[in-house]
Amino acid sequence: MKKFNLLIVLMLSAVTMLQAQVPKGDVLIKNGTVLTVTNGTLENTDILVRDGKIDRIGKNLRTPNGVEEIDATGLFVMPGIIDAHSHIAGSAINEGTSQVTSEVSMEDVVDPFDISIYRALAGGVTSIHLMHGSANVIGGQNETLKLRYGFTNPDDLRFEGAPRTIKFALGENPTRGGRRRGIQPQSRMGVEAMLRNSFNEALEYQKKWEAYRADNSRRKVAPEYSLRMETLVDILEGEVLVHCHSYRADEIYMLMKVFQDFGIEKLTFQHANEAYKVAPELAAFGAGASVFSDWWAYKLEVYYSTAYNAAILTNNGVTTSINSDSGELIRHLFHEAAKTQKYGDLTDDEALALITLNPAKQLGIDNRVGSIEEGKDADIAIFDSHPLDIYAIPLMTFVDGVKYFDKATDEKDQRLYIDPESSIEVVQIFDRETQHRCMEGADLVDFFELFNN
Amino acid sequence: MKLHLRKSIFRLLALLPLLCISLGLSAQSDPSGESPATRTYAITNATIVQAAGDTLMNATIVFKNGLIRSLGTDVSIPGDAEVIDGTDMFVYPGFIDGMSYTGAVRPDSPERPDDLFTPDPPNDYAGITPEEQVTSQLSLEENSIEDLREIGFTVSHTVPYGRMLPGSGALLLLNHAEHPDEMLIQDNVSMYTQFVGAPGAYPGNTLGIMAKFRDLYRNATYSRQHAEMYASNPAGMERPTRDRVMEAFYPVVSNEKPIFYNASSSLEARRAIRLKNDLGFTLVLGNLEEGWGMIDELKSSDIKVFMSLELPDEPENADEDEEVTEEVRELEERRMEFYTKHVSQFGEMEKAGIKFGFSSIDANSRDIHDNLRTMIANGLSETAALNALTRDAAELLGISEITGSLSEGMIANAVVANGPIFDEDTQIRMVFADGDKFDYEIRERRSGGNGNGDATATSGIEGTWRYTIESPQGEQGGTMVIEKDGDDYTGTLTSDDGAPDQEMENLTFVNNSLSFDFSFDGGGQTITIVVVGTVTGTEYDAEASISAFNVSFPLTAYKEDPQ
Amino acid sequence: MKNLLSLLIVFTLIPLAGLAQDGSVEKARGGKFALTNAKIYTVTNGVIENGTIIINNGVIEAVGANVNIPSDAEVFDYNGREIYPGMIDSGTQLGLNEIGSIDEAQDYREFGNVTPQMQALTAVNPNSVAIPVTRVSGVTTALTLPSGGVLPGTAATINLFGYTPDQMFAGSKGVVMNFPSSARRRRQTQQQAEEARKRALETINETWDRAELYAKVQDSPDARYYPEMEALAEVVNGEMLLYIEVDAAKDILSAIEWVEDRGYEKVVFMGVSEGWRVAEELAESGIPVIAGPVLSTPTRGSDNYDAAYANPGVMQKAGVKVALRSSDTENSRNLPYNAGFAAAYGMGREEALKAITINAAEIMGVGDQLGSIEVGKKANLFVATGDPFQTSTDIVDVFIDGYLIPMTSRQLRLYDEFLNRTPGVQKNAERTDG
Repeated sequence: MKKFNLLIVLMLSAVTMLQAQVPKGDVLIKNGTVLTVTNGTLENTDILVRDGKIDRIGKNLRTPNGVEEIDATGLFVMPGIIDAHSHIAGSAINEGTSQVTSEVSMEDVVDPFDISIYRALAGGVTSIHLMHGSANVIGGQNETLKLRYGFTNPDDLRFEGAPRTIKFALGENPTRGGRRRGIQPQSRMGVEAMLRNSFNEALEYQKKWEAYRADNSRRKVAPEYSLRMETLVDILEGEVLVHCHSYRADEIYMLMKVFQDFGIEKLTFQHANEAYKVAPELAAFGAGASVFSDWWAYKLEVYYSTAYNAAILTNNGVTTSINSDSGELIRHLFHEAAKTQKYGDLTDDEALALITLNPAKQLGIDNRVGSIEEGKDADIAIFDSHPLDIYAIPLMTFVDGVKYFDKATDEKDQRLYIDPESSIEVVQIFDRETQHRCMEGADLVDFFELFNN
Repeated sequence: MKLHLRKSIFRLLALLPLLCISLGLSAQSDPSGESPATRTYAITNATIVQAAGDTLMNATIVFKNGLIRSLGTDVSIPGDAEVIDGTDMFVYPGFIDGMSYTGAVRPDSPERPDDLFTPDPPNDYAGITPEEQVTSQLSLEENSIEDLREIGFTVSHTVPYGRMLPGSGALLLLNHAEHPDEMLIQDNVSMYTQFVGAPGAYPGNTLGIMAKFRDLYRNATYSRQHAEMYASNPAGMERPTRDRVMEAFYPVVSNEKPIFYNASSSLEARRAIRLKNDLGFTLVLGNLEEGWGMIDELKSSDIKVFMSLELPDEPENADEDEEVTEEVRELEERRMEFYTKHVSQFGEMEKAGIKFGFSSIDANSRDIHDNLRTMIANGLSETAALNALTRDAAELLGISEITGSLSEGMIANAVVANGPIFDEDTQIRMVFADGDKFDYEIRERRSGGNGNGDATATSGIEGTWRYTIESPQGEQGGTMVIEKDGDDYTGTLTSDDGAPDQEMENLTFVNNSLSFDFSFDGGGQTITIVVVGTVTGTEYDAEASISAFNVSFPLTAYKEDPQ
Repeated sequence: MKNLLSLLIVFTLIPLAGLAQDGSVEKARGGKFALTNAKIYTVTNGVIENGTIIINNGVIEAVGANVNIPSDAEVFDYNGREIYPGMIDSGTQLGLNEIGSIDEAQDYREFGNVTPQMQALTAVNPNSVAIPVTRVSGVTTALTLPSGGVLPGTAATINLFGYTPDQMFAGSKGVVMNFPSSARRRRQTQQQAEEARKRALETINETWDRAELYAKVQDSPDARYYPEMEALAEVVNGEMLLYIEVDAAKDILSAIEWVEDRGYEKVVFMGVSEGWRVAEELAESGIPVIAGPVLSTPTRGSDNYDAAYANPGVMQKAGVKVALRSSDTENSRNLPYNAGFAAAYGMGREEALKAITINAAEIMGVGDQLGSIEVGKKANLFVATGDPFQTSTDIVDVFIDGYLIPMTSRQLRLYDEFLNRTPGVQKNAERTDG
């Protein structure tokens, strides 16, 4: 325990007494350059945090008694970074055995011990969207987390009140699964058919249950219950936000048409490497896109990509975010966002919104996080220079006003669990592929991952 | 004990040469002459620990007809009793195992159907067979019975092998049975559940298992309502479809039958608790290995706990005077910190006032007494340790009226040792299970260290091994058959899911290190899996890695026919 | 005219492609060029404010503050923009790997464990879509690597312009060796790992014993045809570089020992993820390293989160000669950002710049031709609006082997086509709007 931030340790013991309530901090961040994202850049400005919320933003704020003061003179203060597509902190990623698994949920497999959480905090990230993988047309439900590293109960990492979301997937990944298993779908035609079938089945299911509920008889018999169908009904009712793994413009367009037919409105395309080709259609639908800054060519459906994707989408009025989908990239999303200044000349505010406000909108949590505004959660990152500068180093990261990362006191070995039977020097050479867990465990041959992405 | 039902001792003798079978009412005599002359025993002048902290000195205990007839310092000894001089002997209640596979035979895994529809496999392939009973897996030939008994256990809550929902557990006496039914205290006492997915089919891993469990449970709730309404008045009502899986859930839904969840890690335990909180069943956590982070939660809940008797090996840190870097020293400290959490959690739980029992399901019976001593050395009181093995376990299992302590009228389950049971030099001399006596020779202690004694020596690796690979997709099992060919070994790997057999290539066995590899076609690409590990006795602990993909998984195996 | 064009490029960021007429194709062109009025980062001879570079016949003919501009030179007035030597990515699969998940589009891995004779250069596709994408970002040169077994083949350094592999060849090759790794196998005991590693080392040693023997007998008229050994003999004879991929600290130490035992001189370590742990020993060995990717996760769960960012700086400060690589193919364009992170986490900007220019060239044995802006060197350079490590900086022009490279790529063309797509949502409405 001695390795961890003493503050967190104290919080942890306090929390145990308070019965699983995560800590909320009080802090005054003084005299920083505040990148609010929604309200421009405020020089020499203070942020007062009370009980985990941004209480006041202004100049020369008085420090209330007992509130820690952080001198941010010469430093840059931005909203905590939000990763709309992550697979860190998950014990399992894919239930890839079936093409429709809307009943499964990542909330069941949160792994608070993952060291990647600390590494992400060290990159200014405060929230992630822990996503199911992309092996199935309708995958599992995702879970929005706050990176409260140090807590070992998965419940303590939940972003309380965040809307439910679910993963869909189009294109190569689900059709490859179909081909391997000798079942549908094996083409983009089959993917569409499976989506329409699923929603129509859900409508039938809903009808049966509505009839059951409307039946006043005391001797009524319940229809078969299906958690899978229940979730699909919730999607049709607009209670679950859809985040769809997609690459090609045609499949993106297809899903918008399907959703139009079923009246589903809340839709964000994940990866969406070819979203730029249908940017006007996305804008008209009101769909978002959560994209890579520059990844391409790792498979056929991303061969016709352009790193200007985010800029084209932004300029066409599409709510766009830049995500990591990787335990490595997540540590420098600020740099990934900065690349939109090379590829498309986005302004500082536009670039920062890609990793703060826009992902917050896509996850339905923009009323709580994503910008520095009074009343919002005090999820904040402090950098030594402008976060879009290549030489910028994240110095501190706060979640709910509690400091979970501080470069000044960072020590090695931040692991929360160590297997007593492990060798002490376990060396794992970095490999980009292993950071990419989208298709992990999705294969028919089940004891290794054949696929990347 | 239903002696009169015992029959055909010849067949049994052939099968069980170690067991002494008494004569039945059949016309056969006992040509082996190995049946006990009497089943009445009196241990005199012994230290009798009726329950932890409740000890009689220089006392006598009498077992008759499978029950404790009497005990005390002034006890009359029946005429038919075999009198055992208990001077310097300690008599304890027989131990109780809260969750194990003792006596059960691992059935062949269901074959992968040729036309397997992976999203919706047959129930037996999916591992969803809650209607099954462990009684159908029991075999008197199982070495596990004797393995557990010889270390003092007389009762086991035995659960069936399988995947997600293998079936119901039973309470067994580890007695001299001629038929498994004679071991039964009660069957159908628990629904056993674990996080084991179906290989390549739904539910494949924790994600699917959690959802499937909720789905089954809620459907069972509706189904039960329907069945009850129909039973009370079928007129005009749609006839409920019989579904044995649903029906198996009825007593769980009505809280008449607990769910025993095999949850070793804290994450698994918390997932089981999530299900309980969502659905409201009675939860017993079995095989818990990592409880230290959740002691307050456990205390404030109504969840019963059987802690795993498996402990991690103590890390071998460098000696004080050995030269290692500061970094290594710090890492060793941190590893030790977690070892300490493991071994001291039992004392912490005792302090918190949590009543728990033990479960041997993942433990090697040979390590259990050492592990208990380790727990005691790290804060667990001997009293609490004994209670967890006896009275508390009996209470948690609801059998404290018949066993778990030594008093008149209880089942004659007892352990007789030549010293205080947790002392390092103490050895068990006798075990009474259901009134049947089992004698144990005093043996030379195996040299104190780990794995140097005869018990763990590895003679050869030839034979049939059952392996399990833990992959992200769940567990995958099969057998490996190794043959000796001159100085070399050859082997074949079979998979339970019906995949084609694999030759074990480059099989080498040097200094207990066994390695091999095998290749197969993974969609047009040849994938080679390299397995490297260590053989200890009849166990193999290895790592299977696919270097081309930089992934690896644990592979463990045990020898099926250790000869 | 050209100056005007350059300005247009700078201000609109729409490169020449935007000006090209339908059906016309932009080509690279050579000639005699005078790059004037620029801030020149020579790397080896400091910074020249307001300097001029004369490029003629593929090489730098003159560089300095006071350079006479030949009358026949095409003049580019860069108006204070910055000129740097072309960046060198010391580890990619450029030209060998077109589409990641498609076996048929990959040519970097040959069957076999010992195949040092396999030539990466042969398989380089000069028309790979990734090449223009890379070079318009200022990366002009790349080491392209075979991968696979213990000795997967011979790597080649290529310039990112040319129509045949030979036109691209930048004059340096090296045999690649994957040093036996003690990493990855997580559950082995230390003893087991050590044994496995020793066995692999034995294989390597046996192979090299054969190679050394072959080198002695190969000139004999009776020597057998043995292509694998032929390739290795060049290393044994000191004619060819040996690139050794080695990452874990103890493997690095054992690789140093191996190199010293064998007495090879032309050796480079690649990867060296844990170089920071044994930086002193590396420095002492004198073996240069190609480190990276810098943007990677630590090798151990217990390491500081920024261990990989800091690795190049720690080695460089200890006295190791460090070059950097992206370890990427289609995103080799991120090389300057790898350098930027290395700079921020201890290496400093100047040393980081050297690591992707002159150090790389010298390590590959082509320091006399590449890696800095000096008279007589190949004219590989680029013009930027500022610090090329910054993402806000635009690359204005790129010269490779003296050729002015068209500042376009498929990614840029897609940008141009789709930024304001015509038609928009309504095809017909768009048309009536005119």
